[in-house]
Amino acid sequence: MTGNRAGAGPHAPVPRRGGHGPVNGRKLRAAAVMAGLATLAMLPFWVGTPYALELGITAALFAVLSTGLNLVYGYTGLLSFAQVGFFGIGGYASALLAVDAGWPMFAGALAGGLLATMFGILIGYTSLRLSRHAFAIVSLSFALLCLIVARDWVSLTRGPMGVPGLMAPTLAVRGLGDSDLARLDLNRPADFYGLMLAYAAIALALVHRLVGSRIGRAFVAIKLNQPVAESQGIDPLRHRLLAIGLSALLTGIAGGLYVFHLTITDPSVFDFYYTETMLIMVIIGGPGSFWGVLTASLLFSAVPDLLRFTTDLRMVLYGAVLIAAMLVFPGGFGGWIEARRAARSRRRMPA
Amino acid sequence: MEPGLLLQLLINGLALGVIYALIAMGLALIFGVLEIVNFAHGELYMLAAMAAYFVTSDLHTGYWVSIVLVTAGGFCLGVVLYELLLAPVAGRSFERSILLTLGLSMVLQNGAVFLLTTTPRMEITRYSYSTLVVGDLRLPVLRLNALGLALSAFAILYFVLHRTRSGKAMRGVAQNRAAALMVGIDPRAAARLAVAIGVGLSGLAGAALAPVYSVHPAMGFAFVFKAFAIIIIGGLGNVSGAALAAVMLGVLESLAGGFLPPAFVDALAFVLMILVLLLRPQGLFGRGVRV
Repeated sequence: MTGNRAGAGPHAPVPRRGGHGPVNGRKLRAAAVMAGLATLAMLPFWVGTPYALELGITAALFAVLSTGLNLVYGYTGLLSFAQVGFFGIGGYASALLAVDAGWPMFAGALAGGLLATMFGILIGYTSLRLSRHAFAIVSLSFALLCLIVARDWVSLTRGPMGVPGLMAPTLAVRGLGDSDLARLDLNRPADFYGLMLAYAAIALALVHRLVGSRIGRAFVAIKLNQPVAESQGIDPLRHRLLAIGLSALLTGIAGGLYVFHLTITDPSVFDFYYTETMLIMVIIGGPGSFWGVLTASLLFSAVPDLLRFTTDLRMVLYGAVLIAAMLVFPGGFGGWIEARRAARSRRRMPA
Repeated sequence: MEPGLLLQLLINGLALGVIYALIAMGLALIFGVLEIVNFAHGELYMLAAMAAYFVTSDLHTGYWVSIVLVTAGGFCLGVVLYELLLAPVAGRSFERSILLTLGLSMVLQNGAVFLLTTTPRMEITRYSYSTLVVGDLRLPVLRLNALGLALSAFAILYFVLHRTRSGKAMRGVAQNRAAALMVGIDPRAAARLAVAIGVGLSGLAGAALAPVYSVHPAMGFAFVFKAFAIIIIGGLGNVSGAALAAVMLGVLESLAGGFLPPAFVDALAFVLMILVLLLRPQGLFGRGVRV
């Protein structure tokens, strides 16, 4: 969302093969991103219906979740089913800390994110000793285990009833007096939407910065050809653990915040539905394509809901889309655009 | 603890373990020959149990007929599945095949919810209420049947893999694809047979268990989670390793169930898998491709 910082560092991305020069293109893109972000931020003032706000919150949430998956799968090449586990661990940690220990929401969410990071590193470290195939399997088992623990380990997680009665805080903005505008009541959907939007912007900016950097290129190198990457002195395990850890952190914090909007944390935060939706967004958007995945996550958050599909039917449809995509369209839209761009630049080259 | 209870738990665990083995062996076989982790395996098992339920309740066939029909149906479904979906992605990227089978599992599971609702159904057969009593032991006949069926399936599978031409071809492809091609083995035929056997085994498991547990769309989900842990514990792609690991897990779970709360019993598979990955990443019974 905030690509305005892209390439600000010493490792500026390769100039785009376009008509205008790189600086111009980058400025243009930054302006577009800022304008888009401003539009999204103003949304509650134009369409303030609870329904629209709900869609907005969902879209911001899934933008973070699918970008987290994109970081691990799209850039680093590790298919992770554990994202929903990170999400739910963040949710449970922040809810339990708030209810039992009186922690504020933000501290709880951060703690939840760190806990998720720990688990992410644990499953990454153990399974990557074997192979990335093992990582996929272990991450799936981990997600299912989270669900079982949430449901059955009643003394820790309170079982199927979950942790109800979560109250989001009210934040006062200093220096603006006592007007309504100066107070952010995060129990109001419009204000929570603002929070999620801000968090999504920060999280996505972080990922965008990382994947455009030297480390991000190392991720891609490992994904494309591990032996060659290793021969260049890139340590695959450390880079992969970094990607998993950051992705778990961002996803866990998102979960820690989102449960305060739900006002309850229960085993359904580990529902496989989240995994499947994230996967569809990443696959259709194009693994490894930052903007493609972002666009797909916004589209897939809004469109199926606007079309009023029931959840079962939607998942049947997603499954069919996934099958079709894997048979004929494995790169997603992002991959398709990339392939066209490559073909165009090949044509332009002298024969 | 008195020996009677211990023996009872042991036998229950054995019965549970061989059922895990039926599902895990199919997974291991498909991984060994095609290098595809079949995420839809649990849903295929669910489909088989559903089919067994409808065959007995609507077609009024007996228990044994339903088992034969559903197993044969699974075998044929495996051929169709291979030709339509798996053959185009076999040998391509690993993630592509995982996501494809995941899509298939989404379609099957949510389709089943959509068409049949989540209401659990119970298949009633003439063995449903019969129990074999030996001394202090009480053994439900249906579980004994499942045990017997699974054991005979192992024997047949072992025979096929080690004594027949097509079985040896499957093992050859699993061990070295290029060398298998060079000596004239058709990898497509081997892969087709592997998928057919794998799906057939989960069909057998579904049909044998439909009268034991209730039948509902989410039933495959819990099972396949264990099956994945089992194939890691036994060594990815190692069919006999998977069978042994499955029986071990079943017995351990049953014994643990005598003392621990259910959450710990379900977590056992995961903990064992992590331990194996840490201490012996190639699996308890050796690495990879020894189908």
